[in-house]
Amino acid sequence: MKKYIILVAGALLMQYAQAQITIDRSKQPTPGPAPVLNIKDPVTYKLPNGITVLVVEDHRLPKVTASFVIDAGPITEGSKAGVVSLMGSMLNEGTKTMPKAAFDEAVDKLGAIVNLNSGGGYTSALTRYFKDAFTLMGQALKEPAFTQESFDKLKTQELTGLKGQARNAKAIAARVTDALVYGKTHPNGEFETEETVQKLTLQDVKDAYSKYVTPSRGYLTIIGDIKPAEAKFLATEVLGKWSGPVLTLPKLAEVPNPAKTEIDVIDLPSAVQSEINVVNLVHLKMNDPDYFPALLANYILGGDAQSRLFMDLREKHAFTYGAYSALGSGRFQSTFDANASVRTAKTDSAVTQFLFEINRIRTEKVTDEELTNAKALYNGSFARSLEDPARTASFASNILINNLPADFYKTYLQKVNAVTADDILRVAKKYMDADNTRVIIVGNSSQILDGLKKSGYPVNLYDKYASPVIAAAPQK
Amino acid sequence: MQIRKNVLCAITAFSLLGLNAKAQKVEFTEYDLPNGLHVILHDDHHAPVVAVSVMYHVGSKNEVAGRTGFAHFFEHLLFEGSENIKRGQFFKIVSANGGTNNANTTQDRTFYYEVFPSNDLETGLWLESERMMHPVINEIGVKTQDEVVKEEKRQSFDNRPYGNLVNDISADLFTVHPYHNGVIGTMKDIDSAKLDEFKAFFKQYYAPNNAVLTIAGDIDVAKTKQLIEAYFGPVPRGADVVYHKAEEPPITKQIIDTAYDANIQIPLIAAAYRVPGRDTRDAKVMQMISNILSGGASSRLYKKMVDEKKDALQAVAFNVALEDYGMYIIGALPNGGAAPATLLSDIDEEVVKLQTDLISPEDYQKLQNQFENNFVNANARQLGIAEALANGYTFHHKNTNEINEELTQIRSVTREEIREAARKYLKTNQRLVLYYLPKKGKA
Repeated sequence: MKKYIILVAGALLMQYAQAQITIDRSKQPTPGPAPVLNIKDPVTYKLPNGITVLVVEDHRLPKVTASFVIDAGPITEGSKAGVVSLMGSMLNEGTKTMPKAAFDEAVDKLGAIVNLNSGGGYTSALTRYFKDAFTLMGQALKEPAFTQESFDKLKTQELTGLKGQARNAKAIAARVTDALVYGKTHPNGEFETEETVQKLTLQDVKDAYSKYVTPSRGYLTIIGDIKPAEAKFLATEVLGKWSGPVLTLPKLAEVPNPAKTEIDVIDLPSAVQSEINVVNLVHLKMNDPDYFPALLANYILGGDAQSRLFMDLREKHAFTYGAYSALGSGRFQSTFDANASVRTAKTDSAVTQFLFEINRIRTEKVTDEELTNAKALYNGSFARSLEDPARTASFASNILINNLPADFYKTYLQKVNAVTADDILRVAKKYMDADNTRVIIVGNSSQILDGLKKSGYPVNLYDKYASPVIAAAPQK
Repeated sequence: MQIRKNVLCAITAFSLLGLNAKAQKVEFTEYDLPNGLHVILHDDHHAPVVAVSVMYHVGSKNEVAGRTGFAHFFEHLLFEGSENIKRGQFFKIVSANGGTNNANTTQDRTFYYEVFPSNDLETGLWLESERMMHPVINEIGVKTQDEVVKEEKRQSFDNRPYGNLVNDISADLFTVHPYHNGVIGTMKDIDSAKLDEFKAFFKQYYAPNNAVLTIAGDIDVAKTKQLIEAYFGPVPRGADVVYHKAEEPPITKQIIDTAYDANIQIPLIAAAYRVPGRDTRDAKVMQMISNILSGGASSRLYKKMVDEKKDALQAVAFNVALEDYGMYIIGALPNGGAAPATLLSDIDEEVVKLQTDLISPEDYQKLQNQFENNFVNANARQLGIAEALANGYTFHHKNTNEINEELTQIRSVTREEIREAARKYLKTNQRLVLYYLPKKGKA
């Protein structure tokens, strides 16, 4: 067995070496002083064609990663639903000069990863192969082969995949929830079906590519064992001459929440659990003063296994393995969504508890202990997240994309720690609806409908594609 | 020392062949406490994070007959509290200090960990030493965890698409070895266990002399050593753990079996072979074979089945490398209406090629690069480093430095050895063919 003795010197150490440490194990130890967080700004460049380049130098490991993100905003596909994601897959099918097999061989030969999608691409490689891997990523992005053969293959795979999901309760719940909440014509509410995918052609893919894959509004983040100047040089060499249409973010009309809380049921006779989502729309920008209180409010309600929903629905009532909530934020509307997969027999009781907990956080102040623990968790997880160098880069791109003050992340914990119980009450009322929300349930309706009708809320029936079902004759 | 990077000269890919180049080295210090607890420390001050972990050398293979699922169940039980930690407080203390924690159990070991901001190192040591020294093991805990584990079994195995695949394979590949039972076991066995059995299990397997404490991250090594002495020094040594490996008789005739899963719509075909345990050179060779068959889009199975013949949605080959044996699994999902039997013959063709021809020097070089890349990525986080160091000590004959030697060993494997391993272990008469099919009716 080999031993590696670590030599550490310093006066502090000597002091420890001499002092005898006594502990009292009957008490939880007091943490030492909070570590000083050192957030280094990435080096930023702007290429003439619109690409912003962010570089985080980190030489601990002999590797470099690059990710390219095109900030196109939500895309409306309409009758071509599914085309954008299929176009993204097609970018991994070789280039004009390298057929797929040759391209894959070139990537794997480097031991590297190169992935493309409709909104950009990613590569990771050992330092000595990064230039080659990044060049391959750039080629795939700029000159995809777009062969009919690849298109036909991916289309059958997509159709097989859709069939495979036909009775998947979680997949149905995700689709119907977005469709009901945003509406089927909204970019977040539309969805692909066998019919829409069946009708897609290679030309549709090419059209989507020329519209959305472009250097405009592009963010290239390069992280790792590389000097910023070298990263800039590579970025310029590979993507600098690339051109494409100028993107503008779409303007979307605000979608209202329902005038009154309703229960929407989707029948899935084979389901052994009910998927419950309690959902309302929110519009919370990251630079809104409500942002930090809202983070903590959601954590206290349903952020993790110490939160109220988990404690109530799992620990107290054993309706489920886990119940959580999530509160979205950003430039566009997103959702507040409280959800769980619950035992069929307890579906109506679980709905009651969800609404009870949402009402409670809207009407009663959170306790000091809840607030203190939530802050501690945010402080700790923020510190822990810095282990990943990609995190600092995402800080920088978030600041640019969301138009945040330059010190947003440097003062992040300060702002978390300043939140009061009154703030939380205020934002809970504003963003977590109880009277204008949708309770969307995918489950075995023959076993859950009667119980749900007793709740007093209107109960609507929808099919698996979010179309209303005539209440008198629930089918399937 | 932090992870040190040796500068690699800009050499052509080819000249790397046979060169014992090290991309980086994970430095550590290690020692034993008088009670037998093995301690491994790795300091890295890049981020204010510390991972505290304990690996107990006990898993489902240590279970006695009629008590399947016992080791995993016991892992849950050890979150119930200790003499100084009230019931239900374990997770709460961790998150109230901004940390995260969990544990997992395999056939061979049980691994507990916390990741904290580095100023909470002592909290981590306190929690793990309380667990090792005097956990509360009582009826309330057993009853509570019984419900939780039942839900976990549903969520992770019975309700998850393809969730029981590996368990079904273990059941057929092992007849006398406890690997037959898998890790989750049956709830019936847990329900019939008496409280005394849980207490005895603790005494037998959770002694410091059967454990490795690994701490990685932003620590002061000298101070950490003192804290470890203070928290873990008083834990009494236990009796030595005695374990006898059950020898499996060789498989000589192909086994064909069918399993049904209510959560899937697309069938899966798998070929599974019994291979030597994780401390062997051949286990590494099998890992290399996995990359040849399914590592990346240019790999042989993926290229042939997904891209060229288009009869598969996905094709994978991997080695479940356990302590006593490994399970080498090759599987595929059909695309469109392709028949599972067709996929099996595609797989067989590629295996025969491996057994007949040496891989090309280009393919060999590709393998080397892929393994080097995997190695670099594996050591990006402190928790990953802690677990890798503990694995070396626990499963490689106390060689904690395995983490630094693995790549050199991979580099020393020859193309002839790869062909030889394919010939020796991937024989059709030594395998299981499992048809894993959608269960009709319920879904």
